[in-house]
Amino acid sequence: MTSERYAIGLGRAFGGAIIFGLPLLMTMEMWSLGFAMGRGRLLLLVAFTLVLLVGLSYFSGFEKTFSLKEDAMDAFAAFGVGVITSAVLLVALAVVTFDMSWGDIVGRIALQSVPASIGAMLGRKQLGAEQDMKAEEERKQEAGYAGELFLMLAGALFLAFNMAPTEEMILIAFQMTPWHAVALGVLSMILLHVFVYSIGFSGQESRPEGGTFVSTFLHFTLTGYGIALLVSLYVLWSFGRTDGVSVPEIANMLVVLGFPASLGAATARLVV
Amino acid sequence: MNREHKASDIHSEPIRPQVPWLERLASTIGLLLVLGLFGVIGWQAFNGATTPPVITVEIENVTSVQGGHRVLFRARNSADEAAAQVEIEGQLSTAGTDPEISRVVLDYIPGHSTRRGGLFFTRNPQSGALTVRATGFAEP
Repeated sequence: MTSERYAIGLGRAFGGAIIFGLPLLMTMEMWSLGFAMGRGRLLLLVAFTLVLLVGLSYFSGFEKTFSLKEDAMDAFAAFGVGVITSAVLLVALAVVTFDMSWGDIVGRIALQSVPASIGAMLGRKQLGAEQDMKAEEERKQEAGYAGELFLMLAGALFLAFNMAPTEEMILIAFQMTPWHAVALGVLSMILLHVFVYSIGFSGQESRPEGGTFVSTFLHFTLTGYGIALLVSLYVLWSFGRTDGVSVPEIANMLVVLGFPASLGAATARLVV
Repeated sequence: MNREHKASDIHSEPIRPQVPWLERLASTIGLLLVLGLFGVIGWQAFNGATTPPVITVEIENVTSVQGGHRVLFRARNSADEAAAQVEIEGQLSTAGTDPEISRVVLDYIPGHSTRRGGLFFTRNPQSGALTVRATGFAEP
């Protein structure tokens, strides 16, 4: 690994940060959440993202890694790429101007750097031509069930995070009847199961040996949906969407956001 | 140093590549940005960034324009918390008549920040007493 090769990886990281971060860079709610959401929650979200980046670096990242220290270095580099990309683009889009207060500017950039830095980490894998697929597959094999759950969590978080800031999530939850919610929940689980085990996307799981439909469903699909719901709850709480809301209404929101989250969990293997 | 090398050789891959200088630079910059962000946000979190909005309005400029008069103002939120849907109301009282009222809603004023806006009046603000104030806000 030379600096030249690393530079190419960095270039791809910037590409990934822009492409994966763009939808949220141009989402109005993200700008206001940047200064309005609770500071403690923002801090926790950034810390959570860093931990996630270390994990993602293990499975795929700019480069093949050999130790926790290298994964941590990759995570910081990806976060740096995310922050720089977000700052430049937010200034270019006039979302950040220099007559704003410091807290306002930093909040907007910090929140935006969450999707951008995950994009930076995925950039190498998605945009790179030569990939060490074999090493990656080995890692996924080695990590076993826990690794599987981690990838589902990462995928769920990424997709849920892309939807959660918008008003539409709450609006949809408000206009759904309980029957709609039940139907959407069932649909989420069916799609999660089908995407992971049946239709042959690249990186598809083969059904565990000797596993029946029921045991696979309990082991992976139901757990995956559980992760999707927990991730949805965490993201909604981070954005203050659950504050002072009654439990049934929160449950509705979870099902709504759980839909993209479970699709993210199902397709995490494609992206990561 | 030597011993450490040997130990890691046993545990990891046989060839352990050198960390390129660019990687060190990129991760150091990343680390500094993380610390900077944590510093600023953490400082806000622990310095009680929790006082609810206090909004004052300052008139910046009054000009007569086509169809009436334009009053430019600057609304400042001097507290920590952001205010949403801030209604700004201008009231122009002239002797002997009912006051003329104009309103505008500003989407957001973040904490310690200002937002600008304008109000239109048909009468000349210079001919009476003009007051502009924030009438209310919503939590974001």
